[in-house]
Amino acid sequence: MSTWIPLWLHRLGSPPTFYAFAGRLRPWAIGLALLLGIVALYGGLVLAPPDRYQGDDYRIIFIHVPSAWMSLFIYAVMGVASFVALVWRIKLAEVVAMESAPVGAAFTFITLATGSLWGERMWGTWWTWDARLTSELVLLFLYLGVIGLYHAFEDRRQGARAAGFLAIVGVVNVPIVHFSVKWWNTLHQGSTVNLFGQSHIAGDMLWPLLTMMLATKCYYVASLCGRARADLLALEGGKDWVRRIAAGEAR
Amino acid sequence: MSRAPLSRACAALLRRDLVLAWRQRGDIALPVLYALIVATLFPFALGPDLALLQRIAGGVVLLTVLLAMLLALDGLFRGDLEDGSLEQLVLSPQPLAPMLGMKILAHWLTTALPLIVIAPLLASLLHLPAAAMPALLLALLLATPLVSLLGAVLVALTAGTRRSGMLLALMLLPLCVPVMIFAAGALAAAQQGLPWTAPIAWLGAALALAVVLAPLACAAALRIALDA
Amino acid sequence: MTATAPATPLLEARALRFHRQDEPVFGPLDFRLHAGELTLIEGDNGSGKTTLMRLLTGLLRTEHGELLWRGEPLRHERCAGEVVFLGHQLGLKAELSPRENLRVAIGLYGRREGPDIDAALARVGLAGYGDEAVRRLSAGQKKRAALARLLLVPAVLWLLDEPYANLDRTGIELVNRLLEAHVAAGGAALVTSHGAVSFHGGAPQRIRMHG
Repeated sequence: MSTWIPLWLHRLGSPPTFYAFAGRLRPWAIGLALLLGIVALYGGLVLAPPDRYQGDDYRIIFIHVPSAWMSLFIYAVMGVASFVALVWRIKLAEVVAMESAPVGAAFTFITLATGSLWGERMWGTWWTWDARLTSELVLLFLYLGVIGLYHAFEDRRQGARAAGFLAIVGVVNVPIVHFSVKWWNTLHQGSTVNLFGQSHIAGDMLWPLLTMMLATKCYYVASLCGRARADLLALEGGKDWVRRIAAGEAR
Repeated sequence: MSRAPLSRACAALLRRDLVLAWRQRGDIALPVLYALIVATLFPFALGPDLALLQRIAGGVVLLTVLLAMLLALDGLFRGDLEDGSLEQLVLSPQPLAPMLGMKILAHWLTTALPLIVIAPLLASLLHLPAAAMPALLLALLLATPLVSLLGAVLVALTAGTRRSGMLLALMLLPLCVPVMIFAAGALAAAQQGLPWTAPIAWLGAALALAVVLAPLACAAALRIALDA
Repeated sequence: MTATAPATPLLEARALRFHRQDEPVFGPLDFRLHAGELTLIEGDNGSGKTTLMRLLTGLLRTEHGELLWRGEPLRHERCAGEVVFLGHQLGLKAELSPRENLRVAIGLYGRREGPDIDAALARVGLAGYGDEAVRRLSAGQKKRAALARLLLVPAVLWLLDEPYANLDRTGIELVNRLLEAHVAAGGAALVTSHGAVSFHGGAPQRIRMHG
């Protein structure tokens, strides 16, 4: 079965190789995230003109929208990594899946918080049971469930496999929740506000948004590298390569 | 020497679980009592206003049944795990998924069915209009097995952990949102005199899918949980 | 003994090791078990006997070493129905009687030609206790009820984890008699024990486990 996996992926999947690779990648990712983040914030908060209808309030989208994208993107990464971990039992995939979850949960939380701030200014309420907001909330619960299940096991690898299974169940669940909440909203004729439905985004608003999206991606990579490195050290505590690193640090 | 046929094994397991439930019938009464208490507390919390109670009755009964089921779900594999019966089941020459399907069926019969039986009583305590009663019963008949099946997958995942009631609730909530929406949607439509077959049909479709997939997922989850 | 043994062993372990969170639990371990043989696994508490048993049942998996069933990698589907496991947890429902418990076991595992439930209960010394709830039996009697299951289901290989625990002297002799009869009839058995055990008939193969 292992012949299905490309050789380079297989090599990268070995903990010492990945540990070294992530260690080299991480400073670059942090630097790039900071640089892009500052440029995007400057572009979004200073250069971009105020919106015709929303004034300056719309500027929260430069945080809100990239966070929302990341919350879904990281869940997808977690789902794929979990699948790989369950099918091929690759330790690194377990680590990637489980260390993605807290980052994804944080982005989901930021999305909800900024969304509700924006909602207070636009709709006059902190919370509406809109399909997107509700799906995002359910996504947060899914993340928390995965994190909770992972930590409920004493054996971390077993916990990772169980929580990975839950993550895959969640991948199926999110679209169903979105669809059903939409149906529920039409039934109750509640507020069907589209966040960015009608308004076309002008070019000088779009580039900071896309730059911020890249910045969040870089941040995720940097954060994942750091977390995965720490986790690998803990998981492989008894192995020789970890001993060598520990001896090197002590010197 | 004879291999046990699948049908015999299913019957043996179903019979065992039903006999066990019957010998401990006090446990069957607990979720029912719990649902009764929760439903009785609602009018005290919201006031005895007839119109208000009528409006919320359907949702309250659904929610009460869901919570009572959640309470009982935790024990689905607990006993079998503690006395080693679950190991014997997993190691038996039978395919695991249909076996777990039987366990889920027995669990549904002994926890959800009594709740459905008293649901009309709960509904009339809250003055649900009689016209909405068929929709309530049909919605419950489809939604409760769905919750049992989805819940069983999650209970199997937590089988290897310490006591995990809260965790189960956290994990089950996102899965229950669509079930709740469609069951409540059917009820709301029935109360307003609108056609309510569409959401019921959605529930039925989801149930058909879950009957096939959930035992398989449950078996996979249980193998993960026992691998320690 | 070796002359009559078939060429491919029933169960074979090659360089079998097990790690829990990268801490070695036991191994490397090599052994072969043919039909008609009895193997005793000895070791102190914590030497990994139970882990080995769970590995052999297929409940646990390991990435180190090989486990072969009749010459092919051990998979649950391959050995299903030919292996029966008796662990620390006996797999008996406390609210049911021994007879009801055994009926469920037969339903799941199938039925061996030979003794019926009453005969099996009589053989393990539980005649007259068949309809008592397992909850009311003593620890030793519960063990005997679980042993009756071995007599009823059609398994070639018995995996017994600490079968002597909780048994009095006659109980220990009973286990030895059952094992001898099973092996004489062409079955095989793997038995763990932390103490010294003596058999009447022949010297069993012994595996010593170190923590």
